[in-house]
Amino acid sequence: MSEERITKYAEAVLSVASAENGGAEVEDELFRFARAVEGSDDLRRTLSDSKIPAARRQQIVEDLIGGQATPATTAVISMIVAAGRGGDIHRIADEVVALGAASRAKAVAEVYSVIELTDDQQARLATSLQSATGKEVEIKVIIDESVMGGLLVQIEDEVIDGTVRTRLKQLREAF
Amino acid sequence: MKKRIFLASILGALLLTFGMAGTASASGESVGSCAIEEIEAFEEETGLSLHDLHGGGNEEALETLSDSVEGCIEAPSPIIPEWNEVIWGGGAFLVLLALMMWKGFPAVQKIMNQRSEQIASDLDQADQAKADAQAVKAQYEAELADAKSEASRIIEEARQQAEGLRSDLQARAESDIAEMRNQASVDIEAARDRAMSDLQAEVSDIVVGAAERVVEANLDAKTQAQLIENYINQVGSS
Repeated sequence: MSEERITKYAEAVLSVASAENGGAEVEDELFRFARAVEGSDDLRRTLSDSKIPAARRQQIVEDLIGGQATPATTAVISMIVAAGRGGDIHRIADEVVALGAASRAKAVAEVYSVIELTDDQQARLATSLQSATGKEVEIKVIIDESVMGGLLVQIEDEVIDGTVRTRLKQLREAF
Repeated sequence: MKKRIFLASILGALLLTFGMAGTASASGESVGSCAIEEIEAFEEETGLSLHDLHGGGNEEALETLSDSVEGCIEAPSPIIPEWNEVIWGGGAFLVLLALMMWKGFPAVQKIMNQRSEQIASDLDQADQAKADAQAVKAQYEAELADAKSEASRIIEEARQQAEGLRSDLQARAESDIAEMRNQASVDIEAARDRAMSDLQAEVSDIVVGAAERVVEANLDAKTQAQLIENYINQVGSS
């Protein structure tokens, strides 16, 4: 799908979220769902399979999300999957987060971690990143066990890597 | 043809000489005819016949007749021929000489000239043939010398080529040997480096694998939280 169409989908999602007065929450839930889909090949294939009826795909989404997300998020994801764009949901989610942060004059900081960060940790990390980069950021935590430990933060094109995986890689290269 | 004419002329001259000589001899100059003439002259002078002389009484007449006949039988001169023979012989000689000068000598001279010309021509041809043979011989010798020179040149050239080829092959072989030696050294060095690298990678895998296992075993929730705190603090202090 073209970037223009991705942007239009993102704008539509943001409009729905804004209408429901849950912009940041929808962004966060959509972002997390998109990361979950990206991490599962079966789920991604299922949601992007045009042979499966749209109603069936929507039912799968609702079964997965259940009551864990707001109705606005569930509606938005169902709309995307029903439109046959389940395979591009991660790109739409990234664009939604980027557009939302931009609307708030902030940059998105994708934080890869093995465990979830507490609100306090996220707040202090945002402050540290702001002081380090000079940008006001919004934290988006992505659970990724491949980092083994520590954090990896990506703000736009800038990467700050403090993971155990990278330390071990450096150790391997040092030999 | 000319030769036959020359032989016919000689034969004719011989016939004229002996034939005319025989005629001259039979014209009354023989002893018999002389005796007959003397007897007839005696009978006319004396009126006596030979039969009358056989009787007696005519001894003087018989003696006269005997003297006349004896005069006929006197031997001719052994040196001076008879005049008629001289005349006939000289005429025959002159005729023969004229014939010879008219036909014989020119024919003989012509034949001799032709023969001389033929001999000269043959000699010239022989000289020419000899000169040609000598020229051919000289040419052959020159060609032989050239062939020997060419053969020597070819042999020398072949020898030089063989020497050059041998030198090239030797140089190439030495170059190949040096290149193979260098390549072998490079290969050995590369194999050694590869082995060292493999060994180092294996050791690295073992060490890092062990480190990973140790780290994973110690990455509990508390450690994870501490790592996050360290990261936040490091980013904030940088």
